[in-house]
Amino acid sequence: MKRRVSLFLLLILFLAGCSQKPAYEIVYSSGEVKTQSETNEKRQVTIALVPKLVNIPYFNAVEEGAIEAGEDLGVHVIYRGPAVADADQQIKIINELINEKVDVIAVSANDPDKLVPVMKKAQSQNIKVITWDADTHSSSRELFINMVDPETLGRHLMDTLAWNVNEEGDFAIITGAESAANLNVWLNWIKIQRREYYPKMNLVEVTASDDDPHKAYIQAKQLLAEYPNLKGIIGNSSVGPPAAAQAVKEAGKSGKVAVVGLSPPNPMNEYLKINAAQVVTLWSPKKLGFLTVAIAANLIEGKKPYDRQDIPQVGKISVKDDMVIMGEPIDFTKENVDQYDF
Amino acid sequence: MIFKWKQVKNHRLMTKLIVTYIFITVIPMALIGLTAYNQYTKSIEEQVGENIPKLLEQAHEQINAYLNDIRQLPDLLYNSAQVIEVLRKDTFQTNSSLLQDQFIVNSYLTKTFINGGNPDILGVFILSKNRLFQSSKVSYTGFESIALPYGQDMDLNGKQAIILPNQTNLRFKDAPPYILLMRQITDTENRMNLGTMFIAVDMSSFKSIFEKINTKQQAQISLMTNTGYIIYHSNLQYIGRINKHLADYPKINGSFKTTNEDENRLISISRTGSEDWILEQSIPLKNLTERTDLVRNTTIIVFVLVVLLSTIISIFLAWNVSRPIHRLTSLMKKVEKGDFDVDLPIESSDEVGMLAKSFNSMVLEIKDLIKQNYQIKLQQKEAELYALQSQINPHFMYNTLETIGMAVEEDEEETVVEMVSLLGRMLRYSISNKEKVVTIDQEVQHMQDYLTIQKIRFEDRIEFYIYEKIDTNKYLTPKFILQPIVENAIKHGLDHQQNFRIEIFISSQMNLVKNREEVLFKIIDNGPGMPKEIVTQLTNELESDPLGKRDARFGLINVHGRLAMMFGEQYGLKIESQMNQGTEVIIVIPLMKLENLGIKMGGGGEGEDEKN
Repeated sequence: MKRRVSLFLLLILFLAGCSQKPAYEIVYSSGEVKTQSETNEKRQVTIALVPKLVNIPYFNAVEEGAIEAGEDLGVHVIYRGPAVADADQQIKIINELINEKVDVIAVSANDPDKLVPVMKKAQSQNIKVITWDADTHSSSRELFINMVDPETLGRHLMDTLAWNVNEEGDFAIITGAESAANLNVWLNWIKIQRREYYPKMNLVEVTASDDDPHKAYIQAKQLLAEYPNLKGIIGNSSVGPPAAAQAVKEAGKSGKVAVVGLSPPNPMNEYLKINAAQVVTLWSPKKLGFLTVAIAANLIEGKKPYDRQDIPQVGKISVKDDMVIMGEPIDFTKENVDQYDF
Repeated sequence: MIFKWKQVKNHRLMTKLIVTYIFITVIPMALIGLTAYNQYTKSIEEQVGENIPKLLEQAHEQINAYLNDIRQLPDLLYNSAQVIEVLRKDTFQTNSSLLQDQFIVNSYLTKTFINGGNPDILGVFILSKNRLFQSSKVSYTGFESIALPYGQDMDLNGKQAIILPNQTNLRFKDAPPYILLMRQITDTENRMNLGTMFIAVDMSSFKSIFEKINTKQQAQISLMTNTGYIIYHSNLQYIGRINKHLADYPKINGSFKTTNEDENRLISISRTGSEDWILEQSIPLKNLTERTDLVRNTTIIVFVLVVLLSTIISIFLAWNVSRPIHRLTSLMKKVEKGDFDVDLPIESSDEVGMLAKSFNSMVLEIKDLIKQNYQIKLQQKEAELYALQSQINPHFMYNTLETIGMAVEEDEEETVVEMVSLLGRMLRYSISNKEKVVTIDQEVQHMQDYLTIQKIRFEDRIEFYIYEKIDTNKYLTPKFILQPIVENAIKHGLDHQQNFRIEIFISSQMNLVKNREEVLFKIIDNGPGMPKEIVTQLTNELESDPLGKRDARFGLINVHGRLAMMFGEQYGLKIESQMNQGTEVIIVIPLMKLENLGIKMGGGGEGEDEKN
C-alpha cells in the first residue's frame, strides 16, 4: 500500500513538473543578444585637440565644431593650444595632456619634426595620437585628418587668382609658418599649377606671416609698396587674405590687386562686398573640428575610418592610406558669403 | 500486489507465455520506433532551426542594406546649393519670395526624390523654420500630426529616426504600409540646423525580400521593432499590430519552439540590425514535420505488422509448448480415472518429447505393476475360489454318493469300498488347497481317481489312459490344471459318444527359442470336437485376455489364465479340435524340479508334509 502511495506521489510530481515547462524551448542559438544596459556601458572618454594656436577665427571655429561634437557624441573635449603658432609651446601642451591621461590627442602641428618625440611618447602611454589640419611624420601618429585634398586645394587657389587677373601679371603669396607642412604642400601645388597652365603669371615673392594677423598685414603693405605692378596676392593661410584685403583697401587698389586665398568667410565678408577681395576659399573649420572629434571617438571604440564613410552631420569622407579627407573646398564670393557664419 | 501476483500465477501457461513474448517484442519495438521518430523529428527541427536564422540573417542584411539606401536619400539634398541656400535663409521675407523658395525646393524634391531612382518613395517633406516643403506621389492626410508636436525646434543631434505609422496620423491613399524616415538637415559648414526632412517609403518592396526566405507555405514572416510593433508581415493584415509575445521570447539570435500552444510553432528570429528591428519567421511544427509523416506512418505500419507477426509467432510457440502439456494433463486425468490404455504420441525429442516418453513408460510401468500386484492377486483369489467350488462339486458329489448308494443296495462291497476310498482321497487332495504347487504325480493321481469314479459310475462307457513319459514325482505342477479340462471333456463327450475315451500324455520338451525345458500335458478325447470357428474364437480369447471374461468356457480359460499369470504369457493351453474327431488340449508349463521347490514356491513344503 505504501508503495502505491509513493508511486502516486511520484506521478503527481511528474505532472507538476510537466506543467512548469518553459513556454519556449530553444532549438538553435547563434548567440545571446546583449541587453541595452550592457551595450550602453561606456566609459567617459576625453579627446584633446591641440590647434596650432588659439584666438584666431579659424581655430575658434574649429573649437566650436569640436565642442558641438563633444556634446553630440557624449565625449569630453579639451581644446588647448598655444597663443602663438609655436612648436615648443605645443610640445609643452601635449606633455600636459599626457599627464592628464587623455584618451586621444589630435594635433594640428606647427612643425612636422619637432613634435615627433612627444607624440611618440604619448603613443607609448596608450594614448591614440592623430593629426588634423597640419600633419607630422606619419610614424608618430595613427592618421591625419586633412580638410581637402592638398593637390586640389593648391591648384584651385592658383585658379581663383588666375580668373581674377586674366591669367597674367605678377603675384605674391603670404603663407603662414614656414615650417607648417600643409602650407608648404599647398604652396608647392600652387607653383605647379602656375607652371603648367599660367606661363604669363609670375610669382614675385613668398612671405611667411607665422599666422600672425598683424605681421601679415605689414607684409601685405610691404608687398604692395615693393611691387607696384603686383596684380594679385594669394593668402596661403587663413590670416593672409584679411590682411591683404585690408592693405589693398587702404592702398585704394580694390579691384586692381586681386586678393584670393584661404580664409573663413566672416572676416572676409566686408572685403568681398567692397571688392577688396574677390574669392576666398576654405572648408568649414567647424566641420573639421566636429569630424576630428567624431573620428577620434570612433578610434577609441576601435572603428577606423574607411573610404566613403558617412559621418553623421558631416557627410561622406574619403580615406587615402592613413589620410582622411573631409571634403571639397568652398569658394566664398560676395554672392554667397552671407550664407556662411564662421 | 500480492493478490495480483497470485492472479498472474494462476493464469494458464500459454497466456503467460504469450503475454511475455508480446512484452519482450512489442515494448522494445515501440520504444525503438518512438525514439527513432522523435530523434528524426528533432533533427529536422534542429536543422530547420539552424538554417532559417541564416536565411533570416541574410534577409535582415538585405533589409539593412535597403534601409541604408533609404538613409542615404536625404544626402541628395546637399547636391543642390540652391536648395541649401533656401533652407539657410531667414523666414522674414515677402510672400512672393517665400513662394518662390517653396517652388524651388518642391520642384527639386519632385525631380530628385519622387521621380528619382527609388520608386518606393511615397512622399518627401521638409520642415524648416516654420516652412513646409513637400512632394508626394499620392495624396495624403495628417502630416500636421508630425509637424505640430515636433514643431520648429526638432533636434535629433544629427541622428536619424524612423517613425512608424502607429506614431503618426499620416495616411496615404490606399493605405500602403510605409515607414517615415526622419532626418535632421544639418548645415555641415555652418554647423547649424536647417530643418528636418521626412521621407515616406512604401514597405511593399519588402515583399520580395520576404518571399525569398519564405521557404514553407505556412511560414509567417514579420519585421518588428524591439517593442513588438509589426512593421511588415507576410500577411498584410497583421501590419501595424503588436506582437505581445516578443518580450517573452528568449533573447537570442536563433530558433526556438513554443511548447504551450494548441499548434506549436518553430520561431526563428534575427535581431541584427542598426534599428533594433527583429525579423521573425514562424512555422507550425506540424508543417515542418510533414515529410516525416511518411516515415512515421511507415514505422507504425511496420510496427503493427511486426507486432502481429510476433503475436502470431508467440501464440504458436506458446501453443506448441503448452499443447503437449495440456494433452498430458488430460491423459493424466484419464489415467487418474483408471484408464491405462493411453498413449502419448512422441513428436519431438525436446524436453516435452522426453516428458511424453517418461509419461508413457511410467503409465506402462504402472500398468504392469497393477497387473502384477493387484489383478494377479484378484485372479488368483477368483481361481482359488473356483477351484474350491470345483473341488466340492455338489453335482459330482451327489452323483458319486448316489452311485455308492446304488452299489450298497446291490451289495457290491468292493465297489463301495473302492469308491469311498477314491472319493476320500479326492476330497483330501482338494481340501489341502493351501498348497498351490504339487508334484505332477499327485495331480495325475487326483485325475486318475476322478476318472476311475466316473468310469465306475458310467460302467465302462469311459475309457481312459494316462501315459507318463517323465518321472512325475520329481517335477511340479500347479494344482487343478487337469480337472477342469477333463471335466469339460467328459461333460461334452458323454452326451454324444457311447464309448468315450480320454488319453492324457505327460511329457517334457526342450523349447529352443526360450532355451528352457517345458512340461507338456496333452489331453486327447474322442468327443464331438468343435467347429473351427469356435476353436479360433477360443484361441483368440485365450491369447487376448487370459484373465478376462467369464462364461461357459470358464474352466479352460481359468486354467490358461492361471498358468499365464504364474509363468508368463507364453505358457498356458492350446486347443486343437476337429468336428466329430475329438479335441486335443495341450497344457504347457515350465519344467520345475522338486528339489528347487523351496526356492521357487514357498507354499510347496507344507503340502508335501500333509501328503506324507
